[in-house]
Amino acid sequence: MKIDPDVCISCELCLPYCPVSAISMQDDVAVIDQEECVDCQVCLKSGVCPVDCFIFEPAPWPRSIRTVFSDPRTEHKATGIAGRGTEEMKTNDVTGRFQRGWVGMGCEFGRPGVGARFYDIDKVARVLASHGVEFEPKNPVTALMEDPKTGKIQEDVLNEKVLSGIIECLFPIENLKDIMDALKEVAREVDTVFSVEVINRADPDGSYPLRKLLEEMNIPYYINGKQTVGLGRPLADV
Amino acid sequence: MTHSLHRRGNAESLQEDFVFLFIPAKGINDNGHEAKLQEFLRITLKHDPKNIGAITIGNMYSHQVDEIIDGATGVAHAVFDNTDAVTGVLQDLKEADLGLSTIVSGIFENVDGCLEKAGLKHHTANFSLGIWGNTGKLPSDDVLEVTTMCGHALIAANLVQSMVDEVKAGRKTADEAAKTLAPQCACGIFNPARATKLIAAMAAK
Repeated sequence: MKIDPDVCISCELCLPYCPVSAISMQDDVAVIDQEECVDCQVCLKSGVCPVDCFIFEPAPWPRSIRTVFSDPRTEHKATGIAGRGTEEMKTNDVTGRFQRGWVGMGCEFGRPGVGARFYDIDKVARVLASHGVEFEPKNPVTALMEDPKTGKIQEDVLNEKVLSGIIECLFPIENLKDIMDALKEVAREVDTVFSVEVINRADPDGSYPLRKLLEEMNIPYYINGKQTVGLGRPLADV
Repeated sequence: MTHSLHRRGNAESLQEDFVFLFIPAKGINDNGHEAKLQEFLRITLKHDPKNIGAITIGNMYSHQVDEIIDGATGVAHAVFDNTDAVTGVLQDLKEADLGLSTIVSGIFENVDGCLEKAGLKHHTANFSLGIWGNTGKLPSDDVLEVTTMCGHALIAANLVQSMVDEVKAGRKTADEAAKTLAPQCACGIFNPARATKLIAAMAAK
């Protein structure tokens, strides 16, 4: 994203709209820091500019991934859906993707509101891979891995910055402790934030085995979360 | 797509914040799903939603309700601020038997209470383990409570602070400030009713 300096009227109205604070005033004109800009188009689509001075032209590879990972209105080729991840647990009552005895995990880099470079995503993906997780094949971050067995992200995108990139993976519930310990360790080496989520299918009595394990391991979780309610059809047998 | 999961706040605030997602499974039951999304949105409108929307079109604060209903594809969303409304929507959805996956975000205990009243049971859960990594880069907790209501992070922390400053200066009401933020959240899961209270509290500090 760029600002046409000949059109900008220095009103400064756009400055607070940038989710990664990439717009600043220089010599009385609003300027976008191209290194920090994630091409999310929030500034443009907000309509805040009274003189329409934003200019967006789709970037060539590898910068082109900034928009697909940062603007949820853009469809990922890897998933066929708009947004940064997949259907994950949302359709589990129909897909049966997350079965009893398994845990789904998501690590959403850059969120909330900081942004992330792929070299940080690469660090965590490699650690998770070394613990034998199965990366979600339809996930856009998985699509950027040289080899999902190693988790290594391809070299040419490592320095690209995005508003958000999600690692999605799956592992047997008995591996939870080892994986959480490894995640805590690698989190210290990451220069951005990431929000962590775990997914679990309820047992027939309605309890979540994962919740009990988290409590035993003293891993805090939010009082609020997301649940499917079993109204999807045909219902998966999981 | 964990956009309705990591909403931050205390129990008092979150008890007025519930998000519905209504979504087909790609390749399984997505044929002709648009009509079902439309029916879902019409059902939610009977229960005084605080927002509705779909990423393909926008939300109640950027588009007319009819435009959202006509343009929704993929996933539809609705936001409520009380358990009676959540229970009512669940009861109506159960009766309508539209066959798409329904997801409810909110305080687990409260959502489970609504499910029980509607004669439904939870199936699969998504738990948030919070924010990890270099958390020194985050804005303040009270700003995060507002920004995390747009799970795609399209509402900037600086814009929230700017709105608080506007309210403090008497140039906007908290309600006007919340409605300035709402259009930025493309899919419509932002809760302007809750945001109004949060912004008023920040401005009063």
